[in-house]
Amino acid sequence: MKFTGIPASPGIGIGPVVRFEREELSVRDIRIPPAGVAREIERFHAALEASRHDLTRIRDGIAAELGKSEAQIYDAHLLILDDPELKRAVEKGIREEGRNAGIMFRGYMSAVATRLEQLDDEYLRERRADVLDVERRVLRYLLGDGPRAAMALDRPSVLVAHDLSPSDAAQLDRTKVLGFVTETGSRSSHCAIVARGRGIPAVVNLRGIMQHVKPGDIGAVDGYAGEFELAPDPARKAFYVSRREAFEAEDRTLLGIHGEPAVTLDGRRIELGANIELPGDVEQVLATGADGVGLFRTEFFYLGRPELPSEEEQYQAYRGVAEKLAPRPVIFRTMDLGGDKVASYLGMTHETNPFLGWRGIRFALHHPELFSTQLRAIYRASAHGRVRLMFPMISSLDELLRANELCAGVARELARARIPFDPELEIGIMIETPSAVWMAEELAEHAKFFSIGTNDLTQYTLAMDRDNERLADLYEPLDPAVLRSIRHTFAAAHAAGRWAGVCGEMAGDPMTAVLLVGMGADELSMTTFDLPRVKAAIRSVRRSDAEAIAREALLQPSAAGVKQVLRRSIEPALPGFLSARRVDS
Amino acid sequence: MIEAELVIRNVQGLHVRAAGLFVRVAGKFKSEIFVSRDDKEVNGKSILGVIDLAAEAGSTIRVRAVGPDEDAAVTALRGLVDGKFGEEP
Repeated sequence: MKFTGIPASPGIGIGPVVRFEREELSVRDIRIPPAGVAREIERFHAALEASRHDLTRIRDGIAAELGKSEAQIYDAHLLILDDPELKRAVEKGIREEGRNAGIMFRGYMSAVATRLEQLDDEYLRERRADVLDVERRVLRYLLGDGPRAAMALDRPSVLVAHDLSPSDAAQLDRTKVLGFVTETGSRSSHCAIVARGRGIPAVVNLRGIMQHVKPGDIGAVDGYAGEFELAPDPARKAFYVSRREAFEAEDRTLLGIHGEPAVTLDGRRIELGANIELPGDVEQVLATGADGVGLFRTEFFYLGRPELPSEEEQYQAYRGVAEKLAPRPVIFRTMDLGGDKVASYLGMTHETNPFLGWRGIRFALHHPELFSTQLRAIYRASAHGRVRLMFPMISSLDELLRANELCAGVARELARARIPFDPELEIGIMIETPSAVWMAEELAEHAKFFSIGTNDLTQYTLAMDRDNERLADLYEPLDPAVLRSIRHTFAAAHAAGRWAGVCGEMAGDPMTAVLLVGMGADELSMTTFDLPRVKAAIRSVRRSDAEAIAREALLQPSAAGVKQVLRRSIEPALPGFLSARRVDS
Repeated sequence: MIEAELVIRNVQGLHVRAAGLFVRVAGKFKSEIFVSRDDKEVNGKSILGVIDLAAEAGSTIRVRAVGPDEDAAVTALRGLVDGKFGEEP
């Protein structure tokens, strides 16, 4: 019997099925005599404290493993433990009604959970699970049970659950859990993210699956296809095994070139960088075998927080990144706020046309003090590694000159104060606007490198909103107009003796990456997920062939023609597992 | 007492992450802070209370602060809500 859900974490796991049941905690209603009230309140606080201790440990562990944003869910759980109304209600019940902490606590939490369940908003309705997760954790302490023992599996198994709470997810152990499936959830559920982080195959949103499984069944989780098969016959089992082997062969190939550079068959080396946005992402960059970071987005410092980041806070974060990566380079892109990234406390308001509005370098130059604070932090960090910086959204030479002047001012101040920094720090710019493309010769005189942001360059060149669903079929980075803009930019950079790269999504597609190399890219930067495949692609072609293909592609009158050239000329040269993955008709 | 009417504009509404940011900011102030939606009013420093308002995208909430730093409290909370809690739209 085969069931289809949502693929949540790649991989294939086959083994005996274990139903993961939600445990039922029974809480008795006990009278507390007046003399026992103080002790009962103390017991309640001790249970909260013990839970806080557990959650802090889990939160820090997840933050280190998967990054801060994944740890936020545990922060919310910690806030529930500190809820003043909850404490007041439970203490009042113990004191005035003479009832025990467990019954009062459960009563309060259940009431909240019930109200959440009745809401129309699906997202908030799902938060009921968070409330119940915290409820169970605290109740176990009140009942004297301590934390739930890590999923006690006596042999490696496939878990089948209605859902996995954040607390359950934190305990998923890849040596014991061959894979899991849940009845609820989506690709962005916490348990799915943990599964991907730990390499555990998972399928979610398999409605009603619990009623089909009995202990002892064999189950196969296909995390690539989003399928779950119960009791596969020998032929199906063999199918899963060979499917797993094919994917593992790909992984081995990629692992085999992990420490190797991205060099074409005829010896042209391309620098491969990673695009990241949080200091915690650096570990992943190193694990991927990247040559450095080609785009570090710094917006996280300004968004999702109520006040501005200090110079010291930024310096510490940038320095940490530079030190961990050294001697590999990191390019910090200065604040790119506005457009789709709005921080209201910076005075940003809703604009009718935000992508053509007060954003990127325009916003930064309007706030020279705010901008200089960030520049100082980056300059100071440059004493601790190989730091480069670049400005986003440059659309005129004047903007670059003014930004360079601010940098020179920062360097002078630091030198005067005898604060160390790298005097050779390279300053580059992103090429994202048609005006920057056509002024590239002049810009190259004042910038040490170019990095082409192909997402914005495509939308500005084609005058097409990339988020407009009706235009989704037309928004096309392989449009000849975009390719010719890229070629012009590379040519201008090279004529001035500068290097140029690409940090947009185009760089992350293996076939398109080969095209970009043929057009003259010196560097490509992409997600850590895409990087190993792009490396494999570059290592399987000759640069001279890529150049010939690029010349042919640039002659095409349409994106469809370009794609035909890529499929005919590049695809056959790539390893089988890379072909026809992303470029469709 | 300072009062303000705010419109929730982030896509996901006043969900757990946003509610967490809200109570964390509210918790920094000495003033008592109340949030209401329609006729339900809750303690602005209580995450369960704020989640319970179920303020989805597009809904209007009322923030009321009473105490020595009531002005600053309402200003800070307004900044947070108007800034869509730092989410991308």
